[in-house]
Amino acid sequence: MRLINRLLAALLSVALIAAGVLVVIEVIADRVFHTSALIHWHPVYNWADRTSSMQGSVRVGSIVIAALGVFLLLAELRRGKPKRLPIASDLTDAAYTRRGVAATIRSAVNDVDGINHTDVIVTRRKVKVAATTAGRQPYTAQSLREPATSAAQRRLDTLELSPTPRLSVRVTTRSR
Amino acid sequence: MHADRTNRTMLILFALFLITVGVIGALTGFGAFGAATEHNRLFANPIGRYFGAQGAWLWPVIAAAAILMALLALRWLTVLLFSTDRAGDIILTGDRSAGRTTLIAGALTQAVCEEIETYPGVHSARARIIGDATIPGLVIETTLEQTADLAALRRRIETNAVAHTRQALNNPNLPVTVDLTVTDRRARRAS
Repeated sequence: MRLINRLLAALLSVALIAAGVLVVIEVIADRVFHTSALIHWHPVYNWADRTSSMQGSVRVGSIVIAALGVFLLLAELRRGKPKRLPIASDLTDAAYTRRGVAATIRSAVNDVDGINHTDVIVTRRKVKVAATTAGRQPYTAQSLREPATSAAQRRLDTLELSPTPRLSVRVTTRSR
Repeated sequence: MHADRTNRTMLILFALFLITVGVIGALTGFGAFGAATEHNRLFANPIGRYFGAQGAWLWPVIAAAAILMALLALRWLTVLLFSTDRAGDIILTGDRSAGRTTLIAGALTQAVCEEIETYPGVHSARARIIGDATIPGLVIETTLEQTADLAALRRRIETNAVAHTRQALNNPNLPVTVDLTVTDRRARRAS
């Protein structure tokens, strides 16, 4: 999101610079030479002067502009996934990266006998683990839920995160 | 860094501007402001009439505002493209009667990284000095091996490498950010 914001910000700033320069040039051209300089705005003015606000294109255009605004506002106000999860430390501002937390929990769960594959999603408040097992005895999903949860919880505790995210573990049998 | 907070604020303001323009246009288009305005032309509104009547002085004022807006946008773009949070060389505090001592930022970060990379369980380390030369901060990014004792390693970084840096800078309160990540790769070490 940060990268997209930077790109959008660059586009917006360039647009503002261009618009500002254009307005100045057009105002000077109109005052001094009584003509347009770079943009033929007279046809635009004439169009707006003869177009009703109830015209379909005006309605659709307005709705599209408002929808774009709502989309952009929601995207900006939405809290994304955290980049770092803070550690309880008095000495430094220490944190694990979100990817680091996911990698270490994944490794801990994968080390449990019978677990074939693990996906980990880390958010600000929750660590969601989805592990899959081959399903053959004795490695059934039901029997591996407890060891997988313990392994993940133990590893999560060693990270000393503050606040500690809640852990949820789901073990399923691999579909064949 | 890269004006991230400004970017977000400006984009929120732009979104609010779009919503305002869009909603007013749509409400007018659907006749929400009464029968008197619904068949009006786009410029047949109080703002359009005001511009028509006061254009002689209004357009030069708008041009002046446009110059200001363009300059502010140019500054924003410059910060966006060229700013960095990295500090230059660090000016050491303390007794300056015998002159001023500066510490090359690269030398300090290299020393920190080299020390951290000697700890067993550390895959790699990177560091940078941020902030101002007189009030610097240190950011350490360390990749740890997943087989390592992560908590013990983190404490070792804090109590050794960070403590040594604070000592070298004669600044026990040096702000330090430590970002830890974990990898399943193993570091190659010279025996």
